[in-house]
Amino acid sequence: MILLRLITWPYVRRHLARASLTTLGIVLGVAVFVAMYTANQAVLRGLEHTVDRVAGKTQLQVTAGDAGFPEDVLERVQAVPEVKVAVPVIEATLETGLTGQGNLLVLAVDMTGDRSLRDYDLESGDEAMIDDPLVFLAQPDSLMVTEEFAKRNGLHADSKIVLGTMLGDQTFTIRGIMKPTGLGSAFGGNLAIMDIYAAQQVFGRGRTFDRVDLALRDGVALDQGRAAIERALSPGFEVAPPSSRGQQFESIVQVYSISMNISSLFALFIGMFIIYNSFAIAVTQRRADIGILRALGAFRSQIRTLFLVEGGVAGLVGSAVGCVAGLGMGRALVGEVATMLEGVFGIVQQPAEITLTPGLLLFALVVGVATSVVAAYLPARQAARVDPVQALQKGRYQVLTAGQNRARRRVALVMALASAALLWLGRSSVPFYTGYVLAILAALLLTPTLALLLAEALRPVLRWLRPVEGTLAADSLIQAPRRTSGTVAALMLALAQVIALGGISLASYAGITDWVDTALNPDLFVTADPSLAVRTFRFPAAMGPELRSIEGIEAIQQVRSVRVPFRGGPVLVVSVEIGGLQERARREPVAGDAETMYRLAGEGKGVMVSENLADLRGLALGETIDLPTPGGLLHLPIVGIVKDWSDQLGTILIDRQVFIRQWHDDSVNIFRIYLKPGASEAAVKARIFDKFAGSRRLYVLTNREVRGYIMRLTDQWVGMTNAQLAVAVIVAILGIVNTLTVSILDRRRELGVLQAVGGLRGQIRRTIWMEAVAISVIGLALGLAFGAVNLHYILEITRRDVGGMNLAYMYPVSIALGIVPTMLAAAFVSALGPGESAVRGSLVEALEYE
Amino acid sequence: MTDSAMVELRGVTKRFDGKRQVTALHGVDLVVPRGEMVSIVGPSGSGKSTLLNLIGGLDRPSAGEVVIDGQALAGLTDDGLTRVRRDKIGFIFQFFNLLPTLTCLENVALPLHLRGWSRRRTLERARELLDLVQLGHRLEHRPDELSGGERQRVAIARALSVYPPLLLADEPTGNLDSATGADILALVRDLHERLGATVVVVTHDPTVAESCARTITLRDGLIVGDERR
Amino acid sequence: MSELLIALMLIAGSGKGDGSYFRPSLPEIAPVPFSAADAREIVQTAQDRTEATSQHYEGTLKVIDARGRVSDKRWTYDRLGSHGRSKAVLRFTEPAEVKGVALLIVNHPDRSSDQWMWTPAIQRDRRIALQDRSTRFFGTDFSFEDLEERDIDQYRYRLLGEEPVDGAACWKIEATPTGRKVSQYTRSVIWVREDNYAYARVENYDGDQLVRRLNYQRIEQVQGIWTARVLEMHDVRRNSTTVLTLEKLQYNLPMHDEDFTLQALRRER
Repeated sequence: MILLRLITWPYVRRHLARASLTTLGIVLGVAVFVAMYTANQAVLRGLEHTVDRVAGKTQLQVTAGDAGFPEDVLERVQAVPEVKVAVPVIEATLETGLTGQGNLLVLAVDMTGDRSLRDYDLESGDEAMIDDPLVFLAQPDSLMVTEEFAKRNGLHADSKIVLGTMLGDQTFTIRGIMKPTGLGSAFGGNLAIMDIYAAQQVFGRGRTFDRVDLALRDGVALDQGRAAIERALSPGFEVAPPSSRGQQFESIVQVYSISMNISSLFALFIGMFIIYNSFAIAVTQRRADIGILRALGAFRSQIRTLFLVEGGVAGLVGSAVGCVAGLGMGRALVGEVATMLEGVFGIVQQPAEITLTPGLLLFALVVGVATSVVAAYLPARQAARVDPVQALQKGRYQVLTAGQNRARRRVALVMALASAALLWLGRSSVPFYTGYVLAILAALLLTPTLALLLAEALRPVLRWLRPVEGTLAADSLIQAPRRTSGTVAALMLALAQVIALGGISLASYAGITDWVDTALNPDLFVTADPSLAVRTFRFPAAMGPELRSIEGIEAIQQVRSVRVPFRGGPVLVVSVEIGGLQERARREPVAGDAETMYRLAGEGKGVMVSENLADLRGLALGETIDLPTPGGLLHLPIVGIVKDWSDQLGTILIDRQVFIRQWHDDSVNIFRIYLKPGASEAAVKARIFDKFAGSRRLYVLTNREVRGYIMRLTDQWVGMTNAQLAVAVIVAILGIVNTLTVSILDRRRELGVLQAVGGLRGQIRRTIWMEAVAISVIGLALGLAFGAVNLHYILEITRRDVGGMNLAYMYPVSIALGIVPTMLAAAFVSALGPGESAVRGSLVEALEYE
Repeated sequence: MTDSAMVELRGVTKRFDGKRQVTALHGVDLVVPRGEMVSIVGPSGSGKSTLLNLIGGLDRPSAGEVVIDGQALAGLTDDGLTRVRRDKIGFIFQFFNLLPTLTCLENVALPLHLRGWSRRRTLERARELLDLVQLGHRLEHRPDELSGGERQRVAIARALSVYPPLLLADEPTGNLDSATGADILALVRDLHERLGATVVVVTHDPTVAESCARTITLRDGLIVGDERR
Repeated sequence: MSELLIALMLIAGSGKGDGSYFRPSLPEIAPVPFSAADAREIVQTAQDRTEATSQHYEGTLKVIDARGRVSDKRWTYDRLGSHGRSKAVLRFTEPAEVKGVALLIVNHPDRSSDQWMWTPAIQRDRRIALQDRSTRFFGTDFSFEDLEERDIDQYRYRLLGEEPVDGAACWKIEATPTGRKVSQYTRSVIWVREDNYAYARVENYDGDQLVRRLNYQRIEQVQGIWTARVLEMHDVRRNSTTVLTLEKLQYNLPMHDEDFTLQALRRER
């Protein structure tokens, strides 16, 4: 469109800074979205790639959650006539201890048969022996690594590498190097193959396997084979294609993506208002141009199209830049995401490269352009309405009437009522999210009206502060509510999000602190892995008595937790001696009677479930649940619902004896240790290390360390509050600068007159500053108020879709109070530039047309 | 209405609604025949510019009828009005109203672009017009590189872009020194004669008024004089 | 086909099973005219002539891969029992890394053998699942299936004609697994020497494609049994060759059943 080149481009060139600021809104929104999305995807694809590569020709996998199962299951699977090949697998990650190398994914297999499923594609070194499976099997220290890993670490055939195992540090020998194709590219190349029987020792697994990978006989349909295997096994086993592991992971990550998506949605919304604001300004500034075009015979539609196309182009540029920025942010973020997933869910992953798929690119562009065009719509309509006669008269500015104010208010009220009604009406997703969206829209639609009311309320205050400047500032706001409402709306949204996230972190801290105080009260924790959530390594049960015999230890509790499928989603089953728990870390249940709960659960006649699980899955006290286990269905009633923050997806607490019986597994993840009164933490810790030195891999964490660990995770989880606050500040500065620029432009004559009749420069400046601060105050007032509503919704989302955390509604007063000076300062800072330009004739001229 | 009339106003009244109602024109009747060159004079606030805006279809009367080239404006939509402006009227403003960021050529080409002309045809016509106003050597200059008189020539060239039958000029010499003003006036006269366009000029300048065959005097929104030489 | 399987065991060439490959020396029997029905007879005779109650040898294994690299291993081999029901223990002695690794094979006349492997370093035995029998036997060109003894009744035979191998006249016989037999090969071609009924060559096919070729060399008479002292297995797809040499070969030594059990396997020698 030629007009774009002739009319828009010169303007953009002239106001390059502002034009960039305009697109910044879109850049921000798209970048946040792209960053979150690509980072999540990279982690997901990392897993899927690994799953895929590791799967090889595997058609189905037999698992029992992540609990593992006894070896004899393999023979049962192999005996199924439909099965062609079935091989056992143990998959575990282990910290290499090599700087910058991170985790190594260990795939432990039985080399005798595994090649029929997986091609190891061995790089043949000079030493022929490396390709000798016999040596590999005969020597339990054998390790096969990828070429990439070998190269990075200067390893070659027969190199030694020391890895921490359950038997202390052990030296491994590289006996095979895989080419970086196929299997070798799994887990970012950080893959090692080990003999499965050696791995049982290394990871303390006893005689169990994690998984059986299998291929079916030719001509056997997947479902048919699946059904046959399921028939041969008890219900605790899952038989599914390898790709479903990716899906499971996805469902875990989804919890996390929801909050990310809400953040990027807000960022886009905010971007929309920045765009709206900038376009409103552009229309004001270019009113004369528009008048000329209209006089020369441009149709209204041509003018409208011009601005819409401008919006579209801004959106396109913004989203393109946003994509690039988002990729950068994603790259920075992906490590965080991976770390957090490891910490929270115990999923160790090697994220894939951050990439922008054509689909995502298209989506980002469409979203960016659409947002921008929507935002530009109102200004474009205003531009089309510009009256050429008035536009062409120098010094006279058309006051664009606010139009359907009443209609808008009415719609807003209806929406507000509807959203309130939906709150009572339904708890299912559709009415809930509809209600949320309606609430946001209502708030946005009411913004101009409320902003006007607030400005009127502020007038006497400002006037009292500074009779002349205050009045002028307030009047400026009152006379042109449109000028400010975009900025105010953006500010409101940003602040409401800060409040909501702040409220979440406040409540999480409160809840978690309480839980940590009562439930996590042992003095020491002995774990097999430095990350409490990773369950790769396990202790044998025999270690319990050994620990108990250490001087200074009064009691120990043995904890074994596994993630198992339950009603279509994963849950964490935590087994512990319930009796000991009652004695040492007794907690009042949310539902149920404490005595009965502990007694029945301790006798193995019931399970305790966490409150978040009950919420997420709609479980009630007294309900009987069927938990699939390798030993058959565990059919037990819920005897109590407790607050437990062990897992985002929900926890089922059962007695250790029940676990041992059902899972045929008496290994231990964590020992909880209570010291004798007066025993020194450090001394006992040292004694534990002494006792197991060199023979056991273990980590001893003090209560304080565990508490710090959990709080750190919580911090990561709620760290978005700060990011959102940064967004709010940027929005404030951007919006206020824009608004003031227009305001000064609109009131150029007024300000000129003021100066002409003897107004001091200082007075003019103060007028501008006061206007800025007033905008910020209005934005704050609305934002903090809408924040209260938003917090409710976000808490509700957290409860229903993000981990079922039932958090108390606590308005984050301290955060709210902290925001006030921040935002006022931001407003003041953003007013400095415009204030100067208002008093400097030349600058004003530069802002003005011709 | 007569076929020969280019502009016909019947009982045209224009009021501005504000805190205080202002009546700019009181039932003005006026006929400008095709091919005539008319000047409108009168003191500030007499309604000259309002009259011109109504004739130019930039504004609508509160009462009465405006007919341009046989077409009554009253019934037209905004787009219809725009179409009349686009196809039948050329505007020349006191402050030129050129877009400062565009070259002379681009400024002149602008109305043609709005009409959706092809790029080649547009540029051909724009060059032709600039030649016509003797600015053929200034095609790529921007307005701020030109003198006042040259800018007004560019504006005239732009007004002529589609050779409209009606040319409206609002104080075309108001912003120019008298010598330049005379040049511009000569150019307008010349175009009037050569192209046979109907010209309506609003002016303060008695020399401008006198150079027109007909002068209409406005005072307080009423025609108080209509003199033909 | 039993061919390959046989290869190793055969090599060992003990009991009846091996018989199918190594025939006892009854060299003076003149060749007789034969018909298609005689093919099975020939194989049966070959099997009968290798009948022994037990077998012992020390094997040297040389794997020469496509790039000409060579690796060596040594093992001792003991086998007890009649063809199709024999048990065997194979214990690696060299190189040092694999010393002590052992394999127990229990053949069954009516089904596939049971195989266990013992790795002393982790004190674990592991079953070699039936499904894995087509995989390579620890970096050699033999597959686990090639270690198995198969009963003569598990194949149908067809005489294809006569063709000399290394200058010795041979019958060329095609063997196709019957329905009950599960094999990675769809058919095999066996060359049996007409002079002593010793196997001279076996070729194994998957469809039309030749997978492995086993050559029997240095066929000598040991304790009256014609036995190949060198077995050369060539994996066509990998272009790799394994040469097994039998040393200290003895038949009919006294051996005990209790030495061919999982418990015995776990007792390192």
